[in-house]
Amino acid sequence: MTLIMVVDDDQDLAEMLGIVLTSSGFDVDMVSRGDEALEVFRNNPPDLVLLDVMLPGIDGIEVCRLIRKESMVPIVMLSAKGETQDIVRGLEAGADDYIQKPFRDKAELVARIRTRLRRTNSDVTGLLTIGDITIDVTAHEVRRGTTLIQLTRLEFDLLVALAKDPGRVFTRDALLSEVWGYRQTTDTRLVNVHVQRLRSKVEHDPDRPEIVMTVRGVGYKAGGSA
Amino acid sequence: MNRVRRSLQHSLATRVILSTVVLSIGVISLTGSALYSRLADGILATSLNSSLAESRYTFFNAEYQVLASQALSVDDRKRALAEFVVNTSTQGINEERREVIFIKSPNGANTTNSYEMSTNIIKNSSIPASLRANVQKSPKVQHAYAVARYNNGLRVDSLFVGQRINIPTGGRYEIYIVFSLKSQTATLDLIKNSLLLTGIALNLLIGLITWLVVRQVVRPVREAARIAKQFSEGDFAQRMKVVSTDEMATLAHSYNDMAQSIEQQITRLEHLSRVQQRFVSDVTHELRTPLTTLRMASEVIHNQRGTFDPLVARSSELLVAQLDRFEGLLEDLLEVSRFDAEVAVLEPVELDVISLIKRCAAEFDVAGNLATPEIVIRSEATSVVINADIRRVERIMRNLLSNALDHSDGKPIIVTVSATDSEVAIGVRDHGPGLDESALIRVFDRFWRADPSRARVRGGTGLGLSIALEDARLHNGELDAWGRPNQGAHFVLTLPRKAGEMINSRPIKVTPIDFHQEVFYQ
Repeated sequence: MTLIMVVDDDQDLAEMLGIVLTSSGFDVDMVSRGDEALEVFRNNPPDLVLLDVMLPGIDGIEVCRLIRKESMVPIVMLSAKGETQDIVRGLEAGADDYIQKPFRDKAELVARIRTRLRRTNSDVTGLLTIGDITIDVTAHEVRRGTTLIQLTRLEFDLLVALAKDPGRVFTRDALLSEVWGYRQTTDTRLVNVHVQRLRSKVEHDPDRPEIVMTVRGVGYKAGGSA
Repeated sequence: MNRVRRSLQHSLATRVILSTVVLSIGVISLTGSALYSRLADGILATSLNSSLAESRYTFFNAEYQVLASQALSVDDRKRALAEFVVNTSTQGINEERREVIFIKSPNGANTTNSYEMSTNIIKNSSIPASLRANVQKSPKVQHAYAVARYNNGLRVDSLFVGQRINIPTGGRYEIYIVFSLKSQTATLDLIKNSLLLTGIALNLLIGLITWLVVRQVVRPVREAARIAKQFSEGDFAQRMKVVSTDEMATLAHSYNDMAQSIEQQITRLEHLSRVQQRFVSDVTHELRTPLTTLRMASEVIHNQRGTFDPLVARSSELLVAQLDRFEGLLEDLLEVSRFDAEVAVLEPVELDVISLIKRCAAEFDVAGNLATPEIVIRSEATSVVINADIRRVERIMRNLLSNALDHSDGKPIIVTVSATDSEVAIGVRDHGPGLDESALIRVFDRFWRADPSRARVRGGTGLGLSIALEDARLHNGELDAWGRPNQGAHFVLTLPRKAGEMINSRPIKVTPIDFHQEVFYQ
């Protein structure tokens, strides 16, 4: 069974999330305080973390940062705040995706969770190269020379999406649908923040990217093999 | 000339200095000319007295010479008189010459022997006629001021003193002595020039002093004006400097007190308004979590409606629909509170207006039923790329389309797109019941509805158009509305093609092209 850790201080919402997720076939672990989250996470590592921003103890963004320090587990933020800076702060702390309360329907929530759990690009196998980076899709490993680069699942998916189609320029919308599984959405912040984060890990100089190139006014593409 | 007038109108200093200088010119020239005429009178009177005394003596001498020469022959008498003339002309108290003229009185002289003689330097005609008349009438010494015309062409201000004299065998004669006033004129000229120079210097000094004094007063006034201007431009920390204890300091103190009080008021109001906005924002946030729970719960119930009694099933449908509406209202309220708090920010990207409109129109097509009127898009270009906040432009478009569909009466909605190099305009035209004058004014007001009695088909929040207007203005764009009763309505969104720039023209006029003002014939 797939285990989802739900961190939310609102008892009723947590219970409701529990009902919905259980009925969709997930196991659910409930935590109501931010300062308890890390301990529960260590004792019983989940497959995905659903994390509220506003939490007693320490806030969700800090919890996200702490979990990200020791694990590459998918993290989806649950936020009642629509303000850009909160979303960006959450994404920068290491969240892969966010869902704004109130969500359109339970199907949306479940779909997002499934996208994050699913291994995307399952059609691609073997080795890919992008610049001086080697991607072993099967082993889920990224190396520069012999050095292993630690990427989250989402960052890995993003890199593979670009690398498997080297000549193509991806618009932000295309990446959103390919990597995040969104349709008809225009939230490009998600793409921007993750590209920045990916660059900080794979580029020699994130200010002069050679792996993930920006195509002005259009989107991104993989850097040429150097 | 205009510059001077403007300077007079706008500068207190110029006005004060100018009027002071003009007044002092008046005063100084009055006193100067009074002084000059007093001095001139004094100097002339002194010379007149000595000249008259000298003349009396000379006239007495002349009469004596005439008496003494009674026994002589005519020629000898002439010679004696000529000698007298020469002697008199060269003897003087000062170095000046006196000119002496013997001249026949008309009708009183023996014409056979002429004793007319003179120093022959001044023309006889120089002697004023009035003086001659007086001399002929009276035996006393007479005098007059006149210009002496010299034979060599010189003209000199002079004093003419005359008396009549009888010459035996010669008849009645007049004797004149002419005193040149050259030295007196020179003295008076000197005085005049000195007075003039002193006057000019005095005036300049007065101007300078006034300028210095006025500057002392005007400088703090200008400073105060500058500070007040900065204050009115929103720099509430500006205060006047208090450097003395005079009236300016009192002004500065009062001004600073006022500024202080205004600043406190503004801070208090800002605080109140922040608290108010924070409250709205917090309430909206706090409502979201229970709303999420509600939605999920209602959905779980809704999914089971097949097993319910029909009344319960319908209730669950209503519950879901109303939760949707509630959520929409909440979102709009939050957006409004962001605008009110001025924390709304633009996140511009490159986007194609045409495909955006098509996307929005398609949403309504899917959401609506078969009765949804057609949405016709008219554009010369197949793609118009602009730099704008896509989320906001989509929201404006959805609001305009939703509003038009609500008031379309089933007739097609016409969406026109027109662009210039710097602007893009989107017009949304419906042919429904339209808007009257009073409705047009309020159409962007929050929670305002055109016709409260109309059924709310689409169940908008009543905030859509006001949010659309705020969204447009955030782009430095504009949203205009037009409407006539029973002629439909036309909303035109004009945006700069690059977010943050200004719009200089309206590619689409708000009065729709299919509207022709009806002409009434009497």
